[in-house]
Amino acid sequence: MKRFECLQAIAPLINNELFVTTAGGATAEWNAVRPSDGNIQVKTLGLCSSIGLGLALALPNRKVFVFDGDGALWMNLGSLATVGLHQPKNLVHICWDNKQYESSGGEPTAATAGNLDFAGIARNAGIKSSRTVTTVDELKEAVSQALDNEGPHFICASIEAGRAEVPPLRYDELENKYRFIRYVEETEGINILRVPPPASYLLK
Amino acid sequence: MGTLAGAQQILAGLKEAGIDLVASVPDINMLQLINLLYEDKGIAHVPVGREEEGIGVCAGAHLGGKRAAMLMQNGGLLNSCNGLTTTALQFGIPVLLMIYYAGDIGDNAFHMVGLVSEPVLQGLGIKYIVMRDPAKVKQDIAGAMILANSSKRPVALLLTRAVL
Repeated sequence: MKRFECLQAIAPLINNELFVTTAGGATAEWNAVRPSDGNIQVKTLGLCSSIGLGLALALPNRKVFVFDGDGALWMNLGSLATVGLHQPKNLVHICWDNKQYESSGGEPTAATAGNLDFAGIARNAGIKSSRTVTTVDELKEAVSQALDNEGPHFICASIEAGRAEVPPLRYDELENKYRFIRYVEETEGINILRVPPPASYLLK
Repeated sequence: MGTLAGAQQILAGLKEAGIDLVASVPDINMLQLINLLYEDKGIAHVPVGREEEGIGVCAGAHLGGKRAAMLMQNGGLLNSCNGLTTTALQFGIPVLLMIYYAGDIGDNAFHMVGLVSEPVLQGLGIKYIVMRDPAKVKQDIAGAMILANSSKRPVALLLTRAVL
């Protein structure tokens, strides 16, 4: 299965969940399929799972999806142990495993040889709801389960390589951040960005 | 391992500065502080396996409305450089970096890490204070957090044994 058809298949299941998407092809494709201020891009390879964990811990009543890649997850494999330690019930971590560094030119990753079982590692790190899916129907079922049940959840989606022809992202990281935070503020009814009054105002 | 009084003062300073989430990787000199964080109900404590993870956790927590700090040794600062650059700085995320200053004058371990820590912070464009005066601990933490929030950048506090 291709990543793009997977994204198209799960988009109708999504309501106002938050998405942290990896420094890779999944980000542009997801924003084309599901444009939303509830999507935040990641620029540090490997860090999406950690950013997603922090977001999930900050907003324990909001489902947080992480879109990871096999190269990125290899770089931060320890994050699975950290998620296993903290057990965020609202985290849904999906690794799009195309067994290559697609955005870097297709070089092999640790997953390329076929010896690496990400879902097995996640399960043995304490993420009990961990599975590998190889068909679109299995993926839809896994995402539905993750939406309806407490996690943390880990899904390794075994996909073919190849990027869809989609437009580039509309927002750079700063605009993306501000829009994302405003979206969280509005949908959670909280205040995050506090602009301090100038000192001259405080003196009056 | 630090003193209990030093750790209590730092924890109180973090609370007064509004910090409500601390990610950490331990150092022996911050043992008392970490033990207090494990017990404290007012601050979410998130131990991580590697310091760059902690930068990610702090960034994500900020996006969800938390005021976050990362507690680590300066070796961990070196481990975090890409996350600090391409996540915290590039997205404009305020994070308070609480860094034990190993290899500082009078510290007999990790002298190379001590040697490069301040130049690395300068290279990253991260403002910092070297904390040497126990009487200024709360003031330093509060000031660093004010700058982190107004500049939307990480700000670092290098903790020496004098304040721990």
